[in-house]
Amino acid sequence: MELNTIKDAFDRVTKKQKLSSSKSQEIIEQISQEIEQALSRIGPGDDIMTQTDPTFMLCELKAKLKEIGPHSQLEVTQKELNVALSKYPKLLEKSFNPDISKAYRNIDFDIHTVNQIIASHFYREGHFDLGDCFVHEAREPEAEAAKSSFAEMYQILEAMKLHNLEPALKWAATNHDQLNQNGSDIELKLHRLQFVEILQKKRRDEALNYAKTFLAPFAKSHMAEFQKLMGCLLWAGKLDASPYAELLSPVHWDKLSEELTRHFCNLMGQSFESPLSVTVAAGGQGLPTLLKLMNVMTGKKQEWQSMKQLPVPVDLDREFQFHSVFVCPVSRDQASEENPPMLLSCGHVLCKQSITKLSKNNSTRPFKCPYCPSEVEVGQCRQLYF
Amino acid sequence: METDALPNGSSASSTTGSTTSAPATPTAAITAGAVSASALPSSKLTQLAESLKLEHQFLRVPFEHYKKTIRANHRIVEKEVSAVISGVAEAADSAELSRDDAVQQLNSLVSRLQGLKRKLEEGSRTEHLQAQRCRARLDHLESADAENLSEWNNIRLKRILVDYMLRMSYYDTAIKLAGSSSIQDFVDIDVFFEAKKVIEALQSKEVAPALAWCADNKSRLKKSKSKFEFQLRLQEFIELVRAENNMRAITYARKYLAPWGATHMKELQRVMATLAFKSNTECPTYKVLFEAKQWDYLVDQFKQEFCRLYGMTLEPLLNIYLQAGLSALKTPFCYEDDCTKEDPLSQESFRKLALPLPYSKQHHSKLVCYITKELMDTENPPLVLPNGYVYSTKALEEMAKKNDGRITCPRTGLVCNYTEVIKAYIS
Repeated sequence: MELNTIKDAFDRVTKKQKLSSSKSQEIIEQISQEIEQALSRIGPGDDIMTQTDPTFMLCELKAKLKEIGPHSQLEVTQKELNVALSKYPKLLEKSFNPDISKAYRNIDFDIHTVNQIIASHFYREGHFDLGDCFVHEAREPEAEAAKSSFAEMYQILEAMKLHNLEPALKWAATNHDQLNQNGSDIELKLHRLQFVEILQKKRRDEALNYAKTFLAPFAKSHMAEFQKLMGCLLWAGKLDASPYAELLSPVHWDKLSEELTRHFCNLMGQSFESPLSVTVAAGGQGLPTLLKLMNVMTGKKQEWQSMKQLPVPVDLDREFQFHSVFVCPVSRDQASEENPPMLLSCGHVLCKQSITKLSKNNSTRPFKCPYCPSEVEVGQCRQLYF
Repeated sequence: METDALPNGSSASSTTGSTTSAPATPTAAITAGAVSASALPSSKLTQLAESLKLEHQFLRVPFEHYKKTIRANHRIVEKEVSAVISGVAEAADSAELSRDDAVQQLNSLVSRLQGLKRKLEEGSRTEHLQAQRCRARLDHLESADAENLSEWNNIRLKRILVDYMLRMSYYDTAIKLAGSSSIQDFVDIDVFFEAKKVIEALQSKEVAPALAWCADNKSRLKKSKSKFEFQLRLQEFIELVRAENNMRAITYARKYLAPWGATHMKELQRVMATLAFKSNTECPTYKVLFEAKQWDYLVDQFKQEFCRLYGMTLEPLLNIYLQAGLSALKTPFCYEDDCTKEDPLSQESFRKLALPLPYSKQHHSKLVCYITKELMDTENPPLVLPNGYVYSTKALEEMAKKNDGRITCPRTGLVCNYTEVIKAYIS
């Protein structure tokens, strides 16, 4: 974004401000000098001869001050400053979206719900003191419910930072079945890390025992991995010089921490990314389009407040794409249960209604695919499930 | 139609009719994908520029604050300088001033000027700090680029949250959040503390600070045709009536309400009628005027006036961003039971907020693989199982590799061979 003109305008403001404030100082200085001069001339001393009439002096001072004309002097610089001061906000209004609340729908946005979302955002990011402070200040005691489970997660992660896998393994063991069901091998990965840690401390017997108890159950399903780990036993204490040195990389710890977070959140029915961050980021991408839409829709404010579907697509990055949306390339309709996507025998996909139209509602009459030269029969079209 | 309808055109013609053979990734698709990938940064940059344009308030508020300080400092100078000049004039005009008196008078003027100098120095320090803050924010906007975007977005979320806290009067959390992420220069805590005093006073049914605030910002309130001061005066009048202090109420009305008569006659008449109806009236028109919620209403009014004066949005930024984000994310699929947990709209609280909002709209198909949750596009095209279920090439290739070329549909349990899948062309 071109911020240079804005920066220049702001520099102008500060320049004029400095000018104006040094002018003020100068004038004050001038006035004090005049007064002090007059004071010295009225002077102390008892000598009648050197004394000037105080009233005369005061009149002279008054005239001098009038000559300086402090107000008109101040006014000149102030005027310039005022010009700069009023230009800058106008420039801001022109270069930015002056009121992003135009895209806001005046609906009852439940404060209670918003507060709960914020509280669990703080907890899930590990800012427990912030969360507590917020829950207390906003008087939302129920919002504290999210705290305990996230606290457990951060305990596990903190321990992992200190290379202590105990809490993580305990968690994995408790949730063994569910993790298995999700097709996760995080338990094996945790045991592998532990195994390597033991090996690194040159305790081969202990490592062997550990492998017997904890790794053996995975041998059947992860044979290659298991063999590799058994190979490591030969290199106890000097793993770094072995073909398996890669296993020592600290990257494994970071990766596993992230994976654990992912699974932990998943088991809690939570997403890996904070839903608040995701939504606000999506808002940042969507707002410009919505504001443009509002500019077009001025005068139809009512319509915006009651609209069921946005009239224009709001393009978001792919990380915000959570669902498959099929838009029929012929009718531009979004597929639905009544109007599902159908695969033609040539591999192109249209919505059912479009196919019905193309075939003129005749299921045996072949029609030409709008995308390639193939002739297709309705009977050969298959419904797709994304 | 022919022209825009063939995004897969080059590969489509070559594979037409080859529905039974295993799909090979056409090189044309790969190059097309590479082109679109290299075009991404420029679209990313325009997107970034667009989202920076939303930051009006971010630059405007500290500037208004700065401007206010400049004006206040200038007013002090003007006032003191004229006081000194008229002091001199007065002394000069008084005919018989003894010398000692004159000296004393002038000395007091000198010390007054010295006081002014000190004040001015202090004032320029504040001005300087505020100018720095304005500049820090400009630099922060400028620093946003494609590389640090996620960090920048992170800070934006925190800024938005602090804004929310301040508007909701959760000051402790606001300070803590700003402090823990060192974004004090990017949030307007000091601005809101000016409002805090007024709000707290109104909450304890006291109008004086609010009136003082009105006097401070008189010219700007007048410019925006605000009637907030009038509303405060009406409330004070009502309180006098409530205390059955009718004589004082009438004097008060003469002094403070009458000037508004020209523009707000209806409201004035209505309030004056309470003198006759008294506070225990059952007449609904007047009963509401005595209700406690009138004070809450004044607080809301004040917040609005305050935000307007500083160039802030009337709604908290958080609500605006949340609504826009929810509208952009909302699809009918979000409310189904198997909605992925990664979608914010799988959470009850987000669903509740999104309920009155419109659904998003798509002009082009966007397909997400059920297994990998990745987008299915030309680089990772969708494949169809014999039962019509669609998964990404990546996911199925992986599965086939692990299971000797066999594929199990995760949703139906159907087992088939990788050679049985066919490619679907989605435009």
